[in-house]
Order: sequence, then structure tokens, then C-alpha cells
Amino acid sequence: MALPRWVVPVTLGSSIGGLAVSIYLTIAHFTSPEIIACSSSGTINCEQVTTSAQSTFVGVPVALLGLVFFAVMIVLDLPAMWRSERRGIHLARLAAAVAGIGFALWLVYAELFIIRAICLWCTVAHVLAFVLFAAIAMTVPDVLGDQAPADEFGRAGRS
Amino acid sequence: MTDKKRRTAAQKQRAQARRERAARNAPRAAEAQDRRPPARPAPRRRPRRSSRSWGTGAIVAVVAVVGVMVLLFLTRSESGPGAKGSSAAVREALNVPAATLEAVGDRSDIRPPAALPAGTPSVEVAGKPAVVYVGAEYCPFCAAERWPVVVALSRFGTFSDLGTTTSAPPPETLPNTPTFTFHGASYTSDVIALSAAETETRDFKPLDALTAEQQRLVSTYNVQAVTGSDGGIPFVMIGNRYAWTGATYDPSVLEGLSFDQIAGRLSDPKSAVAQQIDGAANEITAMICALTGGRPNDVCSAPFIAQAQSALPTS
Repeated sequence: MALPRWVVPVTLGSSIGGLAVSIYLTIAHFTSPEIIACSSSGTINCEQVTTSAQSTFVGVPVALLGLVFFAVMIVLDLPAMWRSERRGIHLARLAAAVAGIGFALWLVYAELFIIRAICLWCTVAHVLAFVLFAAIAMTVPDVLGDQAPADEFGRAGRS
Repeated sequence: MTDKKRRTAAQKQRAQARRERAARNAPRAAEAQDRRPPARPAPRRRPRRSSRSWGTGAIVAVVAVVGVMVLLFLTRSESGPGAKGSSAAVREALNVPAATLEAVGDRSDIRPPAALPAGTPSVEVAGKPAVVYVGAEYCPFCAAERWPVVVALSRFGTFSDLGTTTSAPPPETLPNTPTFTFHGASYTSDVIALSAAETETRDFKPLDALTAEQQRLVSTYNVQAVTGSDGGIPFVMIGNRYAWTGATYDPSVLEGLSFDQIAGRLSDPKSAVAQQIDGAANEITAMICALTGGRPNDVCSAPFIAQAQSALPTS
């Protein structure tokens, strides 16, 4: 399995960045939303977003869900995991990335049309979730094809 | 010329000899060709194009969805405060089912008004007892209080040109609370009148000037001794019977909700929004029924309205 060189650093870096942002937002959620370094007036208003009804999902803080998501992605994006020949790992990574971007899209919708305010830190997390999704989506043929890429002599291996 | 002809004849002979040699050697060349190892097959490649297209397509789809959302958001923002209620939602708020109002009933967590002293002169407009409202579009507690006022008044008459807006953006408390505006609206009823003024826009620009009568009522009754406030808004008077300032319910139930969401929840008696807004509307309805002498009967004779009336303060 030959992956582009950028895949591991990009996915692992995005996951680590996302985890850091999520930890920050989770701390703010459980302590005081005022600690977030962000505008609290106008359209850019982290406090309004992080204290809204949409800041929790079935009772769980969205920031905490983000923390769990990025922590799982760090594990799935480790070099050893990318090298793994276990198809289940690659499927799990893809499923998590799809779930992550799906949830991020819902949160963007909530920010724009329900809360009508945008949280910059949340947006950073959304962008990182998108980078993860895009990078993983581009590797699908490499890691989840029916068989590994055939070599120059036509000898097909198992991915 | 003779030499040239001779050279041409010699060239023709050499060419003929080459052809004959080639013909003699042809079978051997074919054998040699057969003895060569077979050519390598072209490297087999998996059909990646569809998978790669899937990834690209998914990324483009996500970008497109975000782009459309941002475009809609920007378009909305340019056309107004950003939370204009739909006409369907306005109709919902103006037609909360009586069964829902009954299910919510009289709630003890709705703040009671102040009873105006006995002997307070009647407050009338065109010969009808009047509900007086003085507020401003920027004010979040006005935004909250307009909901029950509108729900209650819609049981006694009909609004027209009732607009929607939001309270001021942050740093105002409860920013961008979706609500109605009485600016430009008119109200007709057989039993009561509405005298309303929105003194400033959501961005603090002057809007409606108070009439002399409204100014007199504010100066006389919106005082510490009556409402517990000196000129606070919203200021509401139910004729010469009751008055209050501020919101009569917990406005935090509106946080994070759009106009349409709030309107949609008014008909669900289990929702916190309905319990607070409809509960406050029932209290205002009870006050108006006290003002109109129980008219109209179909509204004022409901047991939950009578119960709410019994809980109102007396002067």
C-alpha cells in the first residue's frame, strides 16, 4: 500500500490540533465560557454559541464529543495504523471522518441559522474535521480498494 | 549518359539481391522471434478512478453545502436583522390553540403584575379600554414580553402588519432575541384597544415618539411606587387595572431559538417555551378579561382563565 507522504502528518497533525481546541472548549464549558479568548459581540460570539441550547447533544457537551472524536482520530491516524493491513481500521477511520464532518456541518448550520453567531474556536475545530475528512477521503482507493495496487510486474497484493 | 545508365542498372541489381537475401532469411527471423521471451504484460492497475472520484466528489459536496449555508446566511443578514419570522410562524403565534393554553393553564412561576390603585382613571382609546405597551426594539425583555402580549391580544382581536425583529446584538443581555415589533402594526377588537409604541430600533435609533397620553401614563404609573421601576421598559398597562415593567416570565427559555422555533413550540404545552409564554399569556388574558368585564365570553369563561384571575393581585 503506497500512501502519499503527506497523509500521515496531515491527518495526525489535524487530529492533535483538533484535540487541543476541544480540550480548550471543554474546559470553558465546565468552568466559565468567559475564559474563551474570542469576541463576545456581533456575529463572532463564542460565548453565545457555547452557552446555547445547541452546545449540548443528547445532554453531552458538544465540546466533549469533539474531544472524544479527535482523540479517537489521533489513534486511527498513527503511522502504524496507516500501515496496518487490517481493513477494519481503515473503515473505522473513514466512518469516523464521515461522522465528524457530518456533525460539523450540523453545528455550522446551528451557528448560522439557529444561534446566528459564530464561534471562532469552534470553526477551527470544524476546519480541522474537514481537513481530516478530505485527507481520508482521498486515501480511500489506496487503503480500501479491492486489492492492493499492482506492482510494475502486475503482482497484485492484498491491502 | 551511358555511365549513368550503367550505375542505375547496378543499383537495381543490388536491390534485387537484398530482396532475395531477405526472403531467404525470413523463416530464420521468424524462428528467432519465437525463441525470444514473451513480452512483459502491461502493469495491471486497479480501477481507481471511481474511488478517487468518490473522494473528490465528497469533498466538493461538503464545500458546496458549507458554501450554500454561508451564502444564505449572508443574504439573510443583508435583508434585515437576521431572524425575521416567517409568515407561517407569525400565524402560528397568533393562533395558539385554546387547548394548548388550557393545558398550560395558570402557572405560579409567572410574575404577577401590580394592581393599580382603586380610583385610577380609565385608560381608553376610541371609547374602548386600552392595553398600553411602551418598549423598544433593542430591549431584550421587551422582546420576550411581546410574545405573551401578542398571544393574549390575539384572543380578543386581530393584528395586521405585525412585523418581526430581534433585540439588539451583544453585548446587550439576551442578544438577538427573536420577537415581534408593534412599530407599524395595527390592532382591531370589539372589546379593547392597543396603544403601543416602540421608542427605538434594535440599533438604538429613535423610532416611535410617545403620544402625550402615553407619556402621561408612563410618568404617572411607571414609577417606583406602582411598578417598582422608574421608567423601565417594557411598560405595560392593562387599562386602569394592572401594570408592570420587564418580562413576566423567564426569557432565558428563548435563548438560541429562532423566531420560527419559538412560534412552533407555542402549541406544544410540554415545551418550556409554551409553559412560559403561554402561561404569561394566560395571566394577561385574565387581566384583560377583568378589564372587559368578561368579554368575550368564550375566552373569559374558561375555568383556567377564571383561576388565573383569582390569582391576580387586588388593589
